[in-house]
Amino acid sequence: MEPSFDRYRERRHEEARAWKERTGGKVVGLFCCDVPEELIHAAGMLPVRLLGEHEDTSEVDIHFPVNVCPYPKACFDQALKGQYDYLDGLVVPNVCDMVRAMFGSWQINFSLPFLYFLEVPQKISSQGIDFFTVELGRFRGALEDFGGHPIADDTLRQAIRLFNADRELLRQLSALRVTAGLPASSVQDAVLSSMVLPKEQHLELMKEALAEAATAPPADGLPLFLSASMLDESDFVRLIEECGGHIVADDMPAGTRYFQADVDEDDPNQLRALARRYLEDIPCPRKMLPEAHLARLLDMLEASGARGTIIHNLRACDCHLYEYPYFKKELEARGLPVLFFRGEETATEREQQRADIEAFIEIIAG
Amino acid sequence: MAGEDVVAGIDVGSHNVSAVLLSPTGILGYAILASAEEGERAAKRALAQACARVGHASVPTVVVATGCGRGSVRFAVRESSEVVCQARGAHWLFPQARTVLNLGAESSRAVRISPDGRAAAFATNDKCAAGSGRFLELMARVLEVPLEEMGDLALAADARAEVSSRCAVFAESEVISHIHRGLPKAHILAGIHVAVVDRIVEIAGRIGVEREVVVTGGLALNRALLAELESRLGVPLLIPPEPRIVGALGAALAAMASPK
Amino acid sequence: MVTSTSAKKHLKTTLLVPELRKKYYAQTLADSQAGKKVAWCSNNIPSEILEAMNITTVYLENYATVCASKRLSSAFCRAGERAGFSQDVCGYARILMGYILGGDDLPEAPYGGLAKPDFLIVNSYSCDSRMGWFTTMARTLDLPLYVLDSPYQPVGGCTDLDNVAYTESQLRGLIAFLEEQTGTKLDPARLRQRIELAAKANEIQVEIYEMRKHVPSPMSAGDAYTVVWPGMYLIGTKECDQFYEQLRAEVRERIASNVGIVPEEKFRLLWSGLPFWYNMALMNYFEEKGGVVAIENAFFRHLPGLPQQDEDPVRDMALRSTMRRGYAGSIGERTDLTVEIAREYSVDGVILSYNPSCRLFYILQPALKNALDRAGIPTLALECDMADERTYSEGQVKTRLDAFIERLLAR
Repeated sequence: MEPSFDRYRERRHEEARAWKERTGGKVVGLFCCDVPEELIHAAGMLPVRLLGEHEDTSEVDIHFPVNVCPYPKACFDQALKGQYDYLDGLVVPNVCDMVRAMFGSWQINFSLPFLYFLEVPQKISSQGIDFFTVELGRFRGALEDFGGHPIADDTLRQAIRLFNADRELLRQLSALRVTAGLPASSVQDAVLSSMVLPKEQHLELMKEALAEAATAPPADGLPLFLSASMLDESDFVRLIEECGGHIVADDMPAGTRYFQADVDEDDPNQLRALARRYLEDIPCPRKMLPEAHLARLLDMLEASGARGTIIHNLRACDCHLYEYPYFKKELEARGLPVLFFRGEETATEREQQRADIEAFIEIIAG
Repeated sequence: MAGEDVVAGIDVGSHNVSAVLLSPTGILGYAILASAEEGERAAKRALAQACARVGHASVPTVVVATGCGRGSVRFAVRESSEVVCQARGAHWLFPQARTVLNLGAESSRAVRISPDGRAAAFATNDKCAAGSGRFLELMARVLEVPLEEMGDLALAADARAEVSSRCAVFAESEVISHIHRGLPKAHILAGIHVAVVDRIVEIAGRIGVEREVVVTGGLALNRALLAELESRLGVPLLIPPEPRIVGALGAALAAMASPK
Repeated sequence: MVTSTSAKKHLKTTLLVPELRKKYYAQTLADSQAGKKVAWCSNNIPSEILEAMNITTVYLENYATVCASKRLSSAFCRAGERAGFSQDVCGYARILMGYILGGDDLPEAPYGGLAKPDFLIVNSYSCDSRMGWFTTMARTLDLPLYVLDSPYQPVGGCTDLDNVAYTESQLRGLIAFLEEQTGTKLDPARLRQRIELAAKANEIQVEIYEMRKHVPSPMSAGDAYTVVWPGMYLIGTKECDQFYEQLRAEVRERIASNVGIVPEEKFRLLWSGLPFWYNMALMNYFEEKGGVVAIENAFFRHLPGLPQQDEDPVRDMALRSTMRRGYAGSIGERTDLTVEIAREYSVDGVILSYNPSCRLFYILQPALKNALDRAGIPTLALECDMADERTYSEGQVKTRLDAFIERLLAR
């Protein structure tokens, strides 16, 4: 489909460098869905989600062992290879063990002018909202210091509106998976590009995409739900599509988790509104307890008409690996078959994954 | 024989290609070849050989392909996954089958079969762990024992060395350690078989073992493995007369059910 | 396959621990029988608060190490894996999940099993595994769970009062939860007393760690991993303080008489990361070659506690724990600390214990190796799980240890 969102992911480094040239602005990298990018944007900087590549790991193996989540490790690998030289700053949220390790490792190995550890609470509670609101105030202050100018409330308001607008269009696009058979790979590519492009630019691309998607031929695969710990590219979704599956709904960071919830524009305390959205409304299993997470997943699954669930958890992802037996049991009890992958995100897995996905689809299709 | 009623199933595996000819009265014949060549050619050869063996003049036109190389069999009317074919084939042979353990050269899988004979759930072996024929082959090389003799030697052992089942690389270095320490080959072999069975039991556990249990694939010819597996699962194992053609049989059954 | 398990104890005081431990577990069972409320907790939950509310605290990680040291880990881990928990996840968690989810072919649980819990408490900020493990147990056992959160503070202590406020609110939340569960109120005087006793125990342990710099080593890791037990599980009691006073006296005496672990120290080691609980005898393996594991970094204490910061004991706890973290946070801090320890304890080599299922220790092993390489200190990596003995290959480990020892002796 046009615009071909996947090329923005592919060219993200060139795009970021070009943006810096054009605007003279600073690029701030970040991990995970927990970081309120609106604040970075309001500071006049470009927030970019770090994404990895599936390359040989001999360089990064010097810094990290084998049995760890491959996603942050792959991002670090890209940095070692100089791909992220244009970053002026990095924000590491308090999420999981491996992402937290990025803070210390970046500190030791690179010298970024701005390296910020965002104290995201690891529990959802009203006390956590209070604390996170304060922390976002500190974060804002740090961005102001780094940027050399204050972030006006109005500027922040506009940023929140802009990001909400982009999320709304992503929601509309993702709904087309159900109503118009739009391939999920297109939606995931749209999300990934939103994570690396200036939001204004992405918003325009989304408008184009929605106009065109209305006329695109529908996919006709078996409707499936995808739950993933982190897929930082759309290859796996494409594989499912090649095997005859059609993802109609998902629960994953480079998917629904990125755009499902908005920041409350009516809350006069903008930092609190951000704290609420980023702490309470994202079903990240590091914070959201399994029962609550499952309830959300089931809501989405049941509304989508999916006939089975594929769960893809990256190796060593404790947060998702512990949930898995519970989710599997509950889904199967509701007559929803589950196919599980413990992924390494290497190319050699693909053949076995393909065979398993084809078998899964063949069994459900009957 | 009515030629038009004969269909075929082909299983293009990584090590072997097998073809089964099926008529409304049952299995007409089959062939198993080592697949040293490109998938479609090997499939054609296997099919031709099966036909030649039973004097069947014309090659059936309705053919379904399964196995990891099924995509290359362009003359097949359709493909079917190994999981589904194993379930179908095992159930046809043993209508009481509710679990099939397919122990192949490259990979192993456990499949739950529903009472109506269809695959209901499955679990496949993690590629890098012990549990497949490839692992045994590797060990055969390390121990310098012919693959076909491994099972019998292991059966004769009166003790077993410990061999890890988690990781083939780790297991290999353990075995080398055992060799250096002078442990008898038979003991090491016994340990290797235990490791393979550990993995099989683990994947079987993921779907739950329900009787009757059928074992298929090349490893179903290994008596040491079967003895250990039966003891660990605590249920009798049903072994087809030719365990290596169950996938192709399942594909042939799919061909039989195809609309003409 | 493991052929040996417990470490040889060189100090007399160490020999008191097994009894203390047995008594502790027996007491928890008796408490439960007598109707006291029992909490299953993760390691950093402040037992001072629970004990001040007459609630019995049972720490689960320790039970897992007990199972491992009694050679029961394979069976329990397998049971945990059968229930669907990946081999990637914490060995302790798999053992406990195996124990809880049961199965008929499980061995008899040590010490007569764990006292039945009334509720669970987990701290969220140490590692990912705990959350997954405790939420699973809470659901399986259908029991209330309290999650205690705290700011992570990767660069150590922080005087920011907003961080303190959050920590405090979480502690008060814990107290409110406990009051609701048990109907008893926190006794601030009792809490204050336990806090001060705990502070004293910490002080003494810091002294002992300092004394262990002495050459020859008065106490090695073989004893250390055992004597750390009361400080973790009996903290806040007079018994705990007395134990460490006795230990300190014995260490002093050994230093005064120049009594070491081996007749002639040929090389000194640092054990980095968790030990292999199912084979603690490895700590003594070096002794026949004149080597001693002089120090370990896993439960290291070098920071004296802060003096009382506030009258209110709960606020005091929040202030002290926020202003001085008991554990190093970021990778840089942890690697720097280990290199410092290696230098100050005159170490000739470091054993890097890569425990694949303990992400917290595992993630930084390569960074540690790099830092030690830069410091010119030889290292040996051993990749085995700390609790799951199926990952351990005796032949391989000993071969590598022998080669490392040769290398150190040749220097």
